[in-house]
Amino acid sequence: MGAYVLRRLVQAVPLLWLISLVVFLLLHVIPGGPMAAYENNPDMTAEDLHRLEHDLGLDAPLHVQYVRWLAALVHGDWGYSLASKRPVLVEIGDRLPNTVYLMGVATLVTLLLAIPIGIFSAVRQYSTLDHVVTTVAFMGHSIPIFWFGLILIIVFHVMLRNPLSGAPLFPGGGMYTLGMPFSLLDRLHHLVLPVGMLAVANAATYTRYTRASMLEVIGQDYIRTARAKGTPEPLVIWKHGLKNAATPVVTILALDLPALFAGAVFTETMFSWPGMGRLFIESAFRVDYALLMAIIMVTAALTVAFNLLADVTYAVLDPRIRYG
Amino acid sequence: MNTAGVRRTLVAIGLAAALLASWPVPAFPQAKRGGVLTFALYQEPETLNPYIATQTASFEVNVFTIEGLLGVGPDGEYFPLLAKEVPSRQNGGVSGDGKTITYHFKDGLKWSDGQPVTCDDVRFTWQAIVDPKSGASGTTGYRDIETVDCPSPSTVVVRYKTFYAPFLSRFDAIMPRHAAGDPAEMPRWAYNRKPVGTGPFTMLEWVSGDHITFIPNRYYREAGKPYLSAVIIRITPSREVGKQLIKTGEIDVLWDLVESDVPELQPAAGVKISSAPSSFAERLVLNLADPTLDGPPLDQVEKNPHPILGDPRVREAIELGINKQEIIDKLLFGLATIGTNELHIGWARCATKPSEYDPARARQLLEQAGWKPGSDGIRVAQGARYAKDGTRLRLKLQTTTGNKLREQAEQLLIDYMKQIGLEFYIENVPSPVLFGSWASGAFRKHGHFDVVLYTTNPDVDPQSQVEGYFASWSIPTAANSGAGFNYARWGNKTADENINLAKNSPDINARKKAYCAVMGEIVKDRPHIYLYDRSSIHAYRDRMQGWVTNVWDRLGWNAEDWSLR
Repeated sequence: MGAYVLRRLVQAVPLLWLISLVVFLLLHVIPGGPMAAYENNPDMTAEDLHRLEHDLGLDAPLHVQYVRWLAALVHGDWGYSLASKRPVLVEIGDRLPNTVYLMGVATLVTLLLAIPIGIFSAVRQYSTLDHVVTTVAFMGHSIPIFWFGLILIIVFHVMLRNPLSGAPLFPGGGMYTLGMPFSLLDRLHHLVLPVGMLAVANAATYTRYTRASMLEVIGQDYIRTARAKGTPEPLVIWKHGLKNAATPVVTILALDLPALFAGAVFTETMFSWPGMGRLFIESAFRVDYALLMAIIMVTAALTVAFNLLADVTYAVLDPRIRYG
Repeated sequence: MNTAGVRRTLVAIGLAAALLASWPVPAFPQAKRGGVLTFALYQEPETLNPYIATQTASFEVNVFTIEGLLGVGPDGEYFPLLAKEVPSRQNGGVSGDGKTITYHFKDGLKWSDGQPVTCDDVRFTWQAIVDPKSGASGTTGYRDIETVDCPSPSTVVVRYKTFYAPFLSRFDAIMPRHAAGDPAEMPRWAYNRKPVGTGPFTMLEWVSGDHITFIPNRYYREAGKPYLSAVIIRITPSREVGKQLIKTGEIDVLWDLVESDVPELQPAAGVKISSAPSSFAERLVLNLADPTLDGPPLDQVEKNPHPILGDPRVREAIELGINKQEIIDKLLFGLATIGTNELHIGWARCATKPSEYDPARARQLLEQAGWKPGSDGIRVAQGARYAKDGTRLRLKLQTTTGNKLREQAEQLLIDYMKQIGLEFYIENVPSPVLFGSWASGAFRKHGHFDVVLYTTNPDVDPQSQVEGYFASWSIPTAANSGAGFNYARWGNKTADENINLAKNSPDINARKKAYCAVMGEIVKDRPHIYLYDRSSIHAYRDRMQGWVTNVWDRLGWNAEDWSLR
């Protein structure tokens, strides 16, 4: 196992290097570039433009710029944002906790909703509730998330009012009420809509996977054996069933976890959430190479890492799987 | 879990939601004095350092704390801010040759940390801008300064090496030496995120991506001001979000709307719209040179004019064929004015007569210019000045993609031109492509276009705009590595002479006259055709008082007078 993990980690290095090269080139294909912000200012002389371009290192040939970036990274230096001139890590550090907070709660709510519902609808296959769950899950999966978010805002923020204060029922954006001391309830109040939006969209997927995988497991001989020897039903489902049915769910989860870092672009944009998703979009509009490279590379590294984690978890969940 | 269990869970979730929903929303104090005003911006400033920032949002925010020697009022005229008076020949502030400018500070000025404001801060500001390592974006004018002398802490003497006409527009932001840092390190200063200024407010915190809070500056020079106890800048991801927030009253000021937002917000209870003509003019830029040439200099342009647009009669026909008033009424809800020339507003305003909508005259001009109707109504050359016989009267019209208003305007333009027998075809591009640099090969810079449609505007001092867009030496070519904005490749002797006159005259009236002479040539010769002058549109809640529209400065230019009912 240890050797396997080590081998996978070593393989990840050339993979990530290749990703960095491709992303770097793609970013530089985007027309405009960071100098575009200055181009149309009639107060900027050609000398000013050259001086700034040189200061930012953008006048060097592309391969030199790439090597400079890579060399700095090897020394642990992610560079400075071209727009704000602040270190890239500081920019990310400002936003990351907000994204982990939102995505963490959303993932937790998603799993708490999806897994019990998925199991239930598998155990009671073709019951009324199963049909309802399957239909709702299908809808949740199909609704475009940006549209759903807007509907949530229109209904729960613009149309519905708190009967006591007359204020909108739920806040339409932000993490907390501005100008108010910290309040846990206020924080939770602001979480409801964005988490609701993420949970509905993601729970649909998880419910369907849990249900399908559970159905397969329930038909197995060992479940029948467990029941035959008189094991209580909850134990049959939760211990014998779920543990074996969890493998595909873990895969999906592992692939979703990098979003804890990368954030949710649509949700954060719609709900004015100051997280990584918005940082990414804003940097993309500003063609902020250093910041974009950092966000993309960390996301790529996390994706690789969580994939490995998923593979390791398989072995734990299913002793038949061996890596050598 | 059984059905009852699921039901129990659902009920619990419902109860929790109901509990959260009934949580009272805090009410802000609403007194004449005090109160928190929330201001929504759909862009986050990249920095608050006025000499590094490029985005408008940065200036909309730093105006609450950063001030300069002079300000510009709603009438486009300078007024003293930190200075006692606007320097002029009459008050001895401007020397005879216009190269030495003397400012006197108001008495007892202090920075928001209590330190006195001195002449040395002005000198430091200049040194920081011109330091080659400081990363200052624009150094125009500051480079022409020889030295900043400080005969006393409250007297500033700026000595220019050569005369610089827009001298009053310089030092519109003063930075404190004691609270900044080494000029060579300017991009890394802590000042950039938390500036120390002299304005009515001082910064409390900046939560990245969320909000920026300002509280009153207790050293502000005007006693009893500001009235507000805080200004919160709320950063929203889009203008749309801001529109919802102002309707529900969660924000008090919404920055930067477009004309099409007005019908939606006007009927909203408690929302007021501020709309005022701005210096922005939407125009067609016509390429007077052969578009197949790569960045031709003026002599090449004269030898190789644009086969269609090179003839001034065709340019006149295009302008006469456009129903500008209809564009304003149909697309802009009547919120714009007919475009005339570059300087339709401000101290250098030059009133020229708007063009008439006269398609009959336009057709006549095209006939005279040797463009005869073809079988499908579009004209073809038959004895035209520069086009070979049989050439179709067809031009490419380009603007930025994704701008609905411009796309609609293009449709109207196609229609107008069809009526006079000219065919426009559209080839829109993303804005970074249209506004790209010479080095990136942008077609606008290199002259590979017929007609482009976009907005630009002159500053309070129009020199850089007028010179940049209309002087013959501002034609972007390989020789000047694409500097300048004279994309029309227009060369006009009278305009050139007057641009130089305006640039070198210390007398403001002489400058006005010179600019107006340039405008006259533009109107006559049409390197640009001005469609309409855009309005500067913002919204605010009616509980806010003290709003004064000033298109020459930022919304918060008079924030010390703002209050809440």
